[in-house]
Amino acid sequence: MKKTVKRAAVLYFLVAIFLAGMILLTVQFVMNGSKWANNRANRHIYSGGTVAQAGAIYDRNGVTLAASENGKRVFAKASAVRKAVLHVVGDTSGVISTGTHYLYRSTLSGYNLIDGIYSLKSKGTGNDITLNIDSGACRAAYEALGERNGTVVVCNYKTGELLVSVSKPSYDVTDVPKNLRTSERYEGVFLDKACSGIYTPGSIMKIITAACAIENIPDIYMRTFECKGEYKTGDGTVICNGTHGKVSFQQALNESCNCAFAQISIELGAQKLKATAESLGFNKQLYAKEVPLVKSRFNPSASSKTELGWAGIGQSTTYVNPVHFLAIMNAIANSGTGYAPDRIKQTGTLTQIIGRMPEIMVRMNPDTASQLKRLLRSNVTDKYGEGKFPGLVMCGKTGTAELDDAESHSVFAGFCARDDLPLSVVVIAENAGWGSGVAANTANRVLQYLDDNR
Amino acid sequence: MAKQPKENRFRQTTVMVLISLFQAICACEVILYQKEASNSLIYIFAGYIAAEWLYMMFGVIITGNDYFELEAIAFFLSGIGLTVCATISEDYALKQVIAIGLGLAVYLVLLLLIKNIRVAMFLRYPAAVASLILLAVNLVMAKVTNGALNWITLGSFSFQPSELVKVAFVLVGAVSLDKLLSNVNLIRYIAFCLACVGALFLMRDFGTALIFFFTFILIAYMRSGDVRTIALICTAALMGALLIIYFKPYVANRFSAYRHVWENMDTTGYQQTRVLIYSSSGGLFGLGLGEGKLRDVFAASTDLVFGLICEEMGLITAIAVCVSFAFIAVFALRAAKGAKSSFYAIASVAASGMILFQLMLNVFGITDLLPLTGVTLPFVSRGGSSVICSWGLLAYIKAAGAPFKLPSPDVDMSRKAKKGGTAA
Repeated sequence: MKKTVKRAAVLYFLVAIFLAGMILLTVQFVMNGSKWANNRANRHIYSGGTVAQAGAIYDRNGVTLAASENGKRVFAKASAVRKAVLHVVGDTSGVISTGTHYLYRSTLSGYNLIDGIYSLKSKGTGNDITLNIDSGACRAAYEALGERNGTVVVCNYKTGELLVSVSKPSYDVTDVPKNLRTSERYEGVFLDKACSGIYTPGSIMKIITAACAIENIPDIYMRTFECKGEYKTGDGTVICNGTHGKVSFQQALNESCNCAFAQISIELGAQKLKATAESLGFNKQLYAKEVPLVKSRFNPSASSKTELGWAGIGQSTTYVNPVHFLAIMNAIANSGTGYAPDRIKQTGTLTQIIGRMPEIMVRMNPDTASQLKRLLRSNVTDKYGEGKFPGLVMCGKTGTAELDDAESHSVFAGFCARDDLPLSVVVIAENAGWGSGVAANTANRVLQYLDDNR
Repeated sequence: MAKQPKENRFRQTTVMVLISLFQAICACEVILYQKEASNSLIYIFAGYIAAEWLYMMFGVIITGNDYFELEAIAFFLSGIGLTVCATISEDYALKQVIAIGLGLAVYLVLLLLIKNIRVAMFLRYPAAVASLILLAVNLVMAKVTNGALNWITLGSFSFQPSELVKVAFVLVGAVSLDKLLSNVNLIRYIAFCLACVGALFLMRDFGTALIFFFTFILIAYMRSGDVRTIALICTAALMGALLIIYFKPYVANRFSAYRHVWENMDTTGYQQTRVLIYSSSGGLFGLGLGEGKLRDVFAASTDLVFGLICEEMGLITAIAVCVSFAFIAVFALRAAKGAKSSFYAIASVAASGMILFQLMLNVFGITDLLPLTGVTLPFVSRGGSSVICSWGLLAYIKAAGAPFKLPSPDVDMSRKAKKGGTAA
């Protein structure tokens, strides 16, 4: 009898297991509650797999980009705006995974551990989000790209605010084309090329090579390079865009001379080039605040001089992510401190009080940054001409990313050296030919719009 | 029996007042939520609360003592179940309140019967025979009704025999092992257990089969205290289970979603993922009765009721429900320690172990911490058989209960529950 009673203590053991399980369950709710509550199967938020009830999304000027009205999602009034901001705002089904609708879904649903989604249920809306995005400028960028696909990103390099983020092709969420998933015209439409795209950079990569040269070759400004239209590396040939004759380092950048930069790259060697690129964020998983970026890749060949030469001028196996490159522009423009482009201005009461702290994505030696700034300024004054960017005090570099089987991408990266217009820009116009064409013109038009509408 | 101190009686009344208040708030919320004022719901809730107080006042006549901590917990849990039913339909609420009434009746009758150990001894044969007949009938009928294998339907009335057999199973086990007179007795008992578990396996009610097996182990341990033998039995059972899985792969398929519910969220993981999604939507205080979406999922008020409570009444109330069960176990343990005979001690431990094990299978099953087996949450889940069985099992714990001190945390628990409910 006594023994039997003692054995009853097995119940304590059972209770302990049970309580341990309850604690584990509660911990799981704390850890994963947000993810679970914001699952697309949650019919408090989603209806038929699309967002129905959630907070509104506004642009920096208070323009409504998306909001819930009577259990339905409504969007910006103008069709052109809807298309221009599609990828930043995101679709309501979460197919565009970097869109605000999906990425900030727990903010939009107003989920928190204490109340769950009670505010959504009682008030019919979660937290509103105000973006740094200027929808008017996005529209200008979208229209400036014209027929071309590609991406335009503009950022305030002093604060990190992302003002423009456009990706093409795009579509109108309120009038979804029937052939969206089948037509070639819409290939890659669900990809926000600004943060999820990578491109062969072409000559804008010479900025990175120049940075490496400034830091590793003390007498780089004394050097001259011979350009005969092509450069024999010993195991192959690098072809130039022209025959530049004898050029200095600055002239080489102005002229975007492949021969000179191939020589510089080979002299620097794969290791140093790679070290510089990686110090600027290449080959690294980066986040523009909460937005994951696709890795920029730079793996110059150590065995083939020709391949190394091509890598140093932005061809071969080099790829850059537009938003990452924008952050590099921010670093050059802002004395070495490259803020992460941030699309969010406010996400509810707490951030309104604290404000969103800027985050540094790219760091550069301030001295290197100021030298690069001077070089990029000389590109505009000595080569492209101020007339291409009237009044902007532009610094920048064009690029023509050569492709194997299609027309080149037209690329431009730069910034305004004006205290009252601290904007950096990256434009990629796919299959649009020379960088000084579509890309530079698009950059100019967007920045002019922002200058006019300050 | 010693008279209990005055202080305890006072606390008991306080607890009952708090529970009634909680239930009244739930009732108001449910009734106000209705589009048209429903008189019958008012009667149901008023009747339920009145019944609680009547029991508190006159229950002493049958139970012979007047501490009602155990019943208070059961009333609290049943009340939550009733509230959930009432938010779905008047019909469910009526059925549930009748089931609770029947449960209370079974509880009292059983208590009267087993108070005399000789009656208990005598009862084991009819109980065992009736159980086997019920399960056999179930097996035959199930073939006819196809699909819902563990149900017997008689006209408009349907019930789960396995639930009733649970009550008998504890009695048979506790009595048989209390007085193991001969090897014949032991063999008969083992045969009975095998028959029960086997029948449940054939009905594909693996969850209940597991509960029976667990209870068997628990009783065997209580009787023998031989951990090695228990380990042997478990190993044998495990090997048996592996053999079954090998020969009948559908058994394993039933549990294939375990720990992979999100990959199968629209098929085999449907219920579990919805429980997690909507439970987390409710936060600590819930979205309000009737405001949830889990209720649209199959079995929301039966197997998934824990998730429904999380979503609509909040995590705090759900945890209060779980903690209540832990208290039942603590009561059972103390009751066993003061029991007059080892029969009561074994029955008390077996009954509360069974309840606790079923609770774990249910709560952890629907939240994917354990494989989903489709068992109900005792006292709370909608369904007559389940409620009656829960109350029946409670009788064993009560019967063992010689006077023991009232644990004070009971009061705190109820307050917590009330807070959760008010905010809901």
